[in-house]
Amino acid sequence: MKKTIQRRLLSAAVAVMTVMVSKTTHAVNYQALVDADTRVFQSYYQKEFPDVKFDDFANGVYAIDEDARKQWMEMEEFPPYELDVERGKALFNKPFANGKSLASCFPNGGAVRGKYPYFDEKRGKVVTLEMAINDCLVENGEKALPWKKGDLARISAYIAFISRGQVVDVKVNSAAAYKAYLKGKQFFYAKRGQFNMSCAGCHMEYSGRNLRAEIVSPALGQTTHFPVFRSKWGEIGTLHRRYAGCSENIGAKPFEAQSEEYRNLEYFQTVMSKGLKFNGPASRK
Amino acid sequence: MKKVISLLSLLVLIPGGSLLFADPSSSSSLIDQAEAVRKEAAALEYEWRDTAKLISSAKESLEKGQKEESDKLASEALRQGREAVAQAKFMEKNWQSMIPRK
Repeated sequence: MKKTIQRRLLSAAVAVMTVMVSKTTHAVNYQALVDADTRVFQSYYQKEFPDVKFDDFANGVYAIDEDARKQWMEMEEFPPYELDVERGKALFNKPFANGKSLASCFPNGGAVRGKYPYFDEKRGKVVTLEMAINDCLVENGEKALPWKKGDLARISAYIAFISRGQVVDVKVNSAAAYKAYLKGKQFFYAKRGQFNMSCAGCHMEYSGRNLRAEIVSPALGQTTHFPVFRSKWGEIGTLHRRYAGCSENIGAKPFEAQSEEYRNLEYFQTVMSKGLKFNGPASRK
Repeated sequence: MKKVISLLSLLVLIPGGSLLFADPSSSSSLIDQAEAVRKEAAALEYEWRDTAKLISSAKESLEKGQKEESDKLASEALRQGREAVAQAKFMEKNWQSMIPRK
């Protein structure tokens, strides 16, 4: 009886030790899991559009629609977002009441687009560029700006403009970051709304095909070129404004801009665009 | 007999007593059911675009005395809410099978 108890205690101790050792020596490599997803995701588009060069996916629908591309390139000669970038620059350098400015919060003269979105381990959430801008304003006693359009989109446009060419390389290095990534991934693939549609349904399976009068853009590269001046809006707007529009289109109630749902979606989508270059702001139909 | 009538009257008058006699197909009950299911769908992050608007319109119609129209709107909201909840539960289990492959 005594020997049986001793043997059981010994087995339990060995099991605990094994778990502890495996936890330290075989920590989960979240980045490797995410990189595997990214390869599958990017390969989907490269098979779907074999004639499109990888870098060109950063141009959205204009990478796959030749006629629309010609019009877009003409429009880019006098970009409709030019005044927004200028205004964004002025706002970026405008002193706060405390004498500091947005420039005090963002290093490298504000050329930081490539750093966002990232998973903030201390706050336990995804931080987007727009969120960081408003955080800086609030921390310095200024009023936060509305998320979807206006001056926040203009400041974001200026930062994107001076960051053009930075390569997308969003890291997923912890269990918490991976959880946020998975939530974004689930959001992207799950069907929702009255029309039972998903982001993937439109921007993977239907990308390159006509949906009413428009050709549907590929999801690969969608997050590289925001904020965008959209002809339909007649003004510049943020990625989350576009997300809300997509939700409406499929008959789902949109989430708030900068909600956890949309931030995680942006995180997932930007991870998937690894290797492309940030090229915002852009003009879109 | 008098005692029975008194007891029934008491049940109707006491708070909540009227619920014992509520018609589950009444307009206000339909609206309450639709609102409860809408909230459930929202908690699952799957609320549909028009459900809340339908419920608001059903309430307005009821206030105007348009019971038939109110019931029609509330029933549609209830259907949407139930489908949204079913969609959420199905997607929670099956979203990975929705990943397109090439």
